[in-house]
Amino acid sequence: MQWKPAATLALVPVAALIAPAVAHAKIYVSVEETQQRLFPGEKLTPNPVALTEAQREKMRDLSSVREPFRGERVWKTAKGDWFIVDEVVGKHEMVKYALAINADGTIKGIEIMEYVESYGYEVGEASWRNQFVGKTSDATLKLNKDIKNISGATLSCKHLTDGVKRLMVMYDLVLKGTK
Amino acid sequence: MSQMKKIACALALAAGVTTANAGEGSFGWIYTLDLQPKGTLEFEQRLQYNRGQAGGKYDFWQGRSELEYGVTENFQLAGYINYSYVNAYRNYPATSEFPNGETGGWGVSYASDSKYSKGRLEGGSIEAIYRITNPVIDPVGVGLYGEVTLGSMKDEVEARLLLQSNFLDDKLVLAANLVGAIEKVKFVQGETGPESMIDLLFGATYRVANNWTAGLEARYHNDFYGYKFQTHTQRAWFFGPNVHYATKDWWVTGAWRWQPTGGKCWAPNDGECSDGRVWDSHTRNEFIVKFGMPF
Repeated sequence: MQWKPAATLALVPVAALIAPAVAHAKIYVSVEETQQRLFPGEKLTPNPVALTEAQREKMRDLSSVREPFRGERVWKTAKGDWFIVDEVVGKHEMVKYALAINADGTIKGIEIMEYVESYGYEVGEASWRNQFVGKTSDATLKLNKDIKNISGATLSCKHLTDGVKRLMVMYDLVLKGTK
Repeated sequence: MSQMKKIACALALAAGVTTANAGEGSFGWIYTLDLQPKGTLEFEQRLQYNRGQAGGKYDFWQGRSELEYGVTENFQLAGYINYSYVNAYRNYPATSEFPNGETGGWGVSYASDSKYSKGRLEGGSIEAIYRITNPVIDPVGVGLYGEVTLGSMKDEVEARLLLQSNFLDDKLVLAANLVGAIEKVKFVQGETGPESMIDLLFGATYRVANNWTAGLEARYHNDFYGYKFQTHTQRAWFFGPNVHYATKDWWVTGAWRWQPTGGKCWAPNDGECSDGRVWDSHTRNEFIVKFGMPF
């Protein structure tokens, strides 16, 4: 192969000039900080769950999320509220989020803990996250049905919505009624 | 230029190396329905290298610098400039006129048995993509693509039907493009030739790890003489792998396509086909590297 620098240089031009100007935000929030956002001032105790294969299959069937759920990332408050950390597939990396469930089974809130993508940071805005508040495991929790999409963030909206559905199925199967 | 030679040159130029990608391109040559979000801009730079024909030496490099803009959630516009470099020497089979092999093919302005090399700023293209359904939320994503190219080597209008389905948390992507194009190929001394093309591109990629996808893609290529697909002149297959790496600030894709035997020409010039492969703008191996940077 004959080396042709003139041709190879085609890769270089504008990209090199604009590279320094490109900088996108990231979201990184620790578990402790997220717990304080959702349950300010409250003490949370680790409450890991061990899921059976049948439970995992039901969660998968009802939510369509295939990524494995890690049962060790479950916490509980003294009042019986739940705090669960989970991850779903993002555009390039995993999106880490937390779901807070009140003792009565209604969603208290969700928080985005890690989001490192080119676009779609609107999923971290309260206006989108607040759509989940008050819903129970009986809710449809489906994008473009009872959860609105965000233009330009469809994949993140879909996967987070499906992720919340999965956790609510898990709540219904495992956590509900747990003392 | 004789009529036969004109036709041969027209065929040589017919296929045109017309590839780019919408949004973030995880395939080498297949368009997906991953469009720029509304109001966002992406810079994309690509370099394709076509290498090896019947014999001798044939290297064709094509560069493209592109800006893509999301006009609405489902409508994207892009514009790019095209440039190329060809280096050829007796890359076609021997003929009575050139018993030691003929120098020809895409980018070579005239037939000879001498070394030929030339760099060109070819021209520019604009393209538009409209996404009718979104594969992230619909079972099958469907989109329409249109492109107009004006250049020193050819003017072209190209249309594509874009199809895409996602599976397994959107980690597995199946995509296909049905491509139709008509081209006015430009020769030396202002002469032109009418061409048309129908291609089917299809492939799959899978997210093997965070930030990484890998897959396979294929091209079933058909060239015709005339603007209305009147005379089938060429048929060929191409297959190869792709790999893609992406972070939030940039992405890069590399792909390779290999032309197996089994291709066929109906051209009146033997140089277009040999050993079951087609030449003109095509080669035994095609490589592409693309780099994208969203704003």
